Amino acid sequence: MEFAFTPEQEALRVEVQQFIAENVTPEIVAELEDTGIRRRGPKTREMYKEIAERGWIGISWPKEYGGQAGSRIDQYIVEEEFARAGITVGGAGSGAPAILAAGTEEQKQEFLPGIIRGEISFALGFTEPQAGADLAGLQCRAVRDGDEYVINGQKMYTTAAHYATHIYLMARTDPDAPRHRGISIFLIPMDTPGITVRPLWTIQNDPPAPLGTTYGDNRTNETFFENVRVPASCLLGEENQGWYVGAMGLNLDRVGASRYLISIQRDEDIVNWVKDNDIEGYAMREDPALRDRLADMWIEGQVCRLMTMRSMSIVETDGNFTYEGSAEKVFAPEHGVRTTETIAQMLGPYGQLLNGSEDAIESGVFAHNLMGAFQSGINHGSVQVMRDQVARRGLGMPRV
Amino acid sequence: MNVLPAEEELMVKNAAREFLDAECPPGLARAMEQDERGYSVELWEQMASLGWFGISLPEAYGGGGLPVTYLGLILEECGRAIAPVPFHSTATAALAVVNNGSDEQKQTILPRVARGDLIMTWAVQEQDPRLRADAVQCRGEVDGDSLVINGIKHFVDNFSAAELVVMAVRTAEPTDESAGITLCIVPTNSAGITETRLTTLAKDSQSKIALENVRIPLSNVIGEISQGWPATSEMLDTGTALLCAQIIGAARKDAEMAIEYAKNRVAFGRPLAGFQSIQHLCADMIVAVDGAQLLTYEALWKLDAGLPYSVEVSQAKAFTNDKCQATVRSSQQIHGGIGFMMEFDLHLWYRRVTAWTMRLGTSFEHRARVARSLLAQPGRVRLGMNIEAVA
Repeated sequence: MEFAFTPEQEALRVEVQQFIAENVTPEIVAELEDTGIRRRGPKTREMYKEIAERGWIGISWPKEYGGQAGSRIDQYIVEEEFARAGITVGGAGSGAPAILAAGTEEQKQEFLPGIIRGEISFALGFTEPQAGADLAGLQCRAVRDGDEYVINGQKMYTTAAHYATHIYLMARTDPDAPRHRGISIFLIPMDTPGITVRPLWTIQNDPPAPLGTTYGDNRTNETFFENVRVPASCLLGEENQGWYVGAMGLNLDRVGASRYLISIQRDEDIVNWVKDNDIEGYAMREDPALRDRLADMWIEGQVCRLMTMRSMSIVETDGNFTYEGSAEKVFAPEHGVRTTETIAQMLGPYGQLLNGSEDAIESGVFAHNLMGAFQSGINHGSVQVMRDQVARRGLGMPRV
Repeated sequence: MNVLPAEEELMVKNAAREFLDAECPPGLARAMEQDERGYSVELWEQMASLGWFGISLPEAYGGGGLPVTYLGLILEECGRAIAPVPFHSTATAALAVVNNGSDEQKQTILPRVARGDLIMTWAVQEQDPRLRADAVQCRGEVDGDSLVINGIKHFVDNFSAAELVVMAVRTAEPTDESAGITLCIVPTNSAGITETRLTTLAKDSQSKIALENVRIPLSNVIGEISQGWPATSEMLDTGTALLCAQIIGAARKDAEMAIEYAKNRVAFGRPLAGFQSIQHLCADMIVAVDGAQLLTYEALWKLDAGLPYSVEVSQAKAFTNDKCQATVRSSQQIHGGIGFMMEFDLHLWYRRVTAWTMRLGTSFEHRARVARSLLAQPGRVRLGMNIEAVA
């Protein structure tokens, strides 16, 4: 075992930190905080180009698709540093890992370099009104018609659908097959005729959550498909194998830098705040009860970090982390909730003040987190479903 | 960064498990609960012949020279097998000699430990059981070339089996420069020692030791007179990290027994494992032990890497205490009535894990140290950074 990064990796981290210090100007921060422009203004776009030019996106991807055939740990380090500044450089959610694993040569050439350049991004089209945690119950239909598929149905919580270039869509291609064996995945341009996006406003809508809030997005979407015709080349992997292709991407989506930070940023924030601040002479840092809870949360935060490192270590050595990823996706989100609720009881009435309010602490991030932290126990596989997976895949227990 | 055990580490760990599976059935721990000596001499000798006691002692003194992590992995397996041997106390005391002893002390002690010829223990706690210098009231006074000790030590492991005890005594009042503590090596058969056996939840061997004018030569002092608190603290940290390893080994085995039981026990027409409430309980048990194990491995790794590791030890022990206790309690829950019948083996693990969580620092003590160190850290804190412990 080895619990430290290499000197080269530490140097990479410092390099990224310096880049952020030099390039994330107040103007860019203003853009990142502006939910109206989806946290993407012209200056931010320019910066993304520079990030890509430095080779910091898709580090672990093969060179022929614009990556550097580098390590997943290097990629993790870059993603973590940017995520701490509120900047996502992960490379299009579940799309890219699944394309790498299951895509044709043409698809890899079509998508991966574009993702790296920031020209292509994906919305996730998985959940439906009647298929959430039980995703395999999805009903969105794709019917083969010559060289095309015709798609009809509705997707929920397609968060990036109003600005992504493509949707990574899970649809049913064989309604007669057993549920998991009649599903396929499609990569579809969002400007295809017949696709309609409608906003769904989250409880973070008003006032907007400050940057860094766990699930601070004010908007997600529902996306409708009405006789949407796409070429058969949009199919990712084999027809009716989509459940398994999707699982690869989802597994990778449940671990990593942004998942880690979602769960632990408030741990660091509260310690740093308590260290330097008191309220009219009331110094929380001297209260033994609060110190005990602070340490408790800090220790759990370390466990989140180590579980993330365990998943990354397994990925880096090409292992299967189905059980470990699920374990992490149980512990980390629930920790995020515990720490958020603990902080509320530390701050008392100050803990309820939202962004922009008189007397709000740290732009109300702790209050907004109370509306966001629990979302991480729901999104991308609920903690109940994750426990099922730990029990079944990790402990060999039967399907109920 | 690769937090998974390396191939060589796994080889040692797996070999230890195989040996203990064959040679250390639960009946041995059960028998030793009633045994006057309190440990299995035969198992001790077999372990000695495998080189376990010296594995992380320096090669120059007959040891294997491997990092302390290896010792931790073996103790994890000993915990799993609830092996009734005075290994942990011997390792803790011997490492104090490695870290701070004189060359002469190392020469006389370490080769014998490595061979399995010398059982040791340590004594720091007193009536006020907190692991801090100001709780040490047992007096030591220099008299010519002797140190004369008076006082009472509580909660000493394996005292009657041990030949030497590494003991912290007060030789001066605390000042800004020194806590006034001396660490020294006391033969357990010294004149003036009275032992009272304690009856513990684990039914293992702990004693209260009264010392009345116990005289040891000054050459038995580890380091300098009155300058021994850092060495004591280091001994406690090392011992705590190793105890965490032992606890997680036992807790994981205990959880596995519950999982196995759930797969076989039928209720309401199906195995318990077919109920989601049981599945989720088991998932939580394993996730908890995984977390404790990762914290413990990181503490051991930092110790071996020469980095500050005390805060990591406290993190590991606080989490291990709470989560492993919950794990063995959940295992009892899954077993139902049979789990608390004397003839069933499960309680052997439950009682040990529970007792061990109360030794070498409670969750409150360790969390207090984490908070103290964290809040004293200059600048902004970040998870994963190196943090110096504050006493």
